[in-house]
Amino acid sequence: MKEKIIALMEEILQVPSGTLSEDTAMEDLEEWDSLAHVMLIGELESRLGVIIPLDEAVEITSVKELFRKAGLE
Amino acid sequence: MHHRIAVLSNVNMNFVVRMLSKELAAADPDSALYEPEGYGNELGALLDPSSSYEAFAPDITFLLMDLMELADHDPEAGCGRIESWFASLKAALHKERLYYISDAFLWGPELEIAPADGRGEALESRWQECLRALCDSHPNVRVLPYRRMIAEMGAENAFSRKMWYMGRILHTGEAQKRIVALLLYILRLQGRIPKKVLLLDLDNTLWGGLAGENDHTPVILSDEHTGLMYRNLQRVIAQMQRQGVLLGIVSKNNPEDAMDIIASHPQMALRPEDFAAMRINWRPKPENIAEIAAELNLGLDSFVFWDDSPAERALVKAALPQVAVPDFPDRPEDLPEAMVRIYRQYFEQVAVTSEDRQKTRQYAENAKRNALKTQASDFASYLRQLAMEISREAPEANSERLTQLVNKTNQFNLTTKRYEQAAMEKLLRDAGKRVYLYRVKDCFGDNGIIAAVILDLTQAVPMIDTFVMSCRVMGRNLENAIVEDIEKELYSQGFSSLQARYLPTAKNKPVENLFEKLDYRILATDESGGKLYETPLPPEAKRNYCARWTDAKSR
Repeated sequence: MKEKIIALMEEILQVPSGTLSEDTAMEDLEEWDSLAHVMLIGELESRLGVIIPLDEAVEITSVKELFRKAGLE
Repeated sequence: MHHRIAVLSNVNMNFVVRMLSKELAAADPDSALYEPEGYGNELGALLDPSSSYEAFAPDITFLLMDLMELADHDPEAGCGRIESWFASLKAALHKERLYYISDAFLWGPELEIAPADGRGEALESRWQECLRALCDSHPNVRVLPYRRMIAEMGAENAFSRKMWYMGRILHTGEAQKRIVALLLYILRLQGRIPKKVLLLDLDNTLWGGLAGENDHTPVILSDEHTGLMYRNLQRVIAQMQRQGVLLGIVSKNNPEDAMDIIASHPQMALRPEDFAAMRINWRPKPENIAEIAAELNLGLDSFVFWDDSPAERALVKAALPQVAVPDFPDRPEDLPEAMVRIYRQYFEQVAVTSEDRQKTRQYAENAKRNALKTQASDFASYLRQLAMEISREAPEANSERLTQLVNKTNQFNLTTKRYEQAAMEKLLRDAGKRVYLYRVKDCFGDNGIIAAVILDLTQAVPMIDTFVMSCRVMGRNLENAIVEDIEKELYSQGFSSLQARYLPTAKNKPVENLFEKLDYRILATDESGGKLYETPLPPEAKRNYCARWTDAKSR
């Protein structure tokens, strides 16, 4: 599941495969801004069924945190 | 073609803009895309003369509107909101800019339990009516087919509640990708010169099976199973014909067998009168195609040839490389969709004019004219029998036809300067330019608007900057009538000379010596064969032609 999430994030952020890892934070990546973040959360839900409640989703600032909120830790 | 593009919306389209910007950077790096400030303030951007949108001055604006937001979830007051939105928009439109406005798709959570009392539909219809009226009154406003895109995906795949709640992004990633593809497609259409003629094979192309093989069920063409696939293919082709595509048949059959089916098979959606040219014989197809090109007076690069036989396709490709030869699907159930793709790829135009809708009739009348030509004992009596009437038409009221004529004419085109619709609108209001449009009728019918001239008046001596005439009416001395009309008008306004130019292209050889024939003097030539001419006004030579002027203006 983690690989799938990372692949989907790379697709939405339109960055080359391998750019993201579990250690990537929002501030490391120019493409990952608040607009792209909305897309990430929405697409995770509609395409992978990964549901993160809205008030938690807005607090996420890294891949690690996203995995935790998605219940993958 | 490079554009300045803006995407405006009442919902958050910023990610669409971001994706579009990446695609444009790859496909057309000289285009510029407006960076919206925030989102949802589409009317503000349009109406405020000091907005960043106005400063950006786009030549194409896409307005992607969510109807539910615009109606503020209020079916009672929604119609009024729609009307006032259109009234505001109308006030903000610039004549020289193009606008694509989305058609209506109403979506919102409450619709699932709302009674089916037609109130939602009423909102959608109101939007469609207002949009249609705006398009009819403004040639620079067109419909962005958004509704069809959402309907094809299904609302459940197109809209995302999560992103809506998080950031007013209405569409799923997939829907946003499709929106980007739709916008790119429309942008590509702007500069393209469409094909004019679709040439079709018959057996296993327009119908299944072979004509003349079987008496009882002659071919596969019906209202069910495989027969319906061919019938639906014909329906698509018939619609293309109504939108201005000329149809032709190039098929190896016994003509009697084939014509019998085309004229009287009850399930044919196409009939003999729908075809501008037919070659049903056993000769090589490239020969037939070349002959049709000569008959219709069109270049081979205006033709698309479609045949189920790979051997015939290969033969045409090899013998006539200018003819487009798309692939043929393996399974007949793919035929209608394959034809839709052919339409999109080769024929679709940014705007369909009334000339387009009547094209098949006009070309059919041309065949009769040609018959008259062979009967008439000499050229002069042919022209007399045609009984041509020529008149000027207002260019502003026919600006789409004007743009089309200037951009699609290759042979009778003295300078081959092309203009997009927006540039043409600008030119129409330019005091330094003057545009003339001409319509011709004859004893067989109305040929429509067939010639255009653009004069440049910015120098001491006026100059014919553009002179185009449809190949349908070439060879009838009409150019003499048109040049005389312009010379007379300029002389009456005090001008004592007129200049003209010829710039050679691969296609415009037929008019290479047009102005020599009219007794213009060559002032200069350049190494590529371009020529600059001048004539005194009034000219010494008389202009010979055989057509009657029928304008209100007496001359």
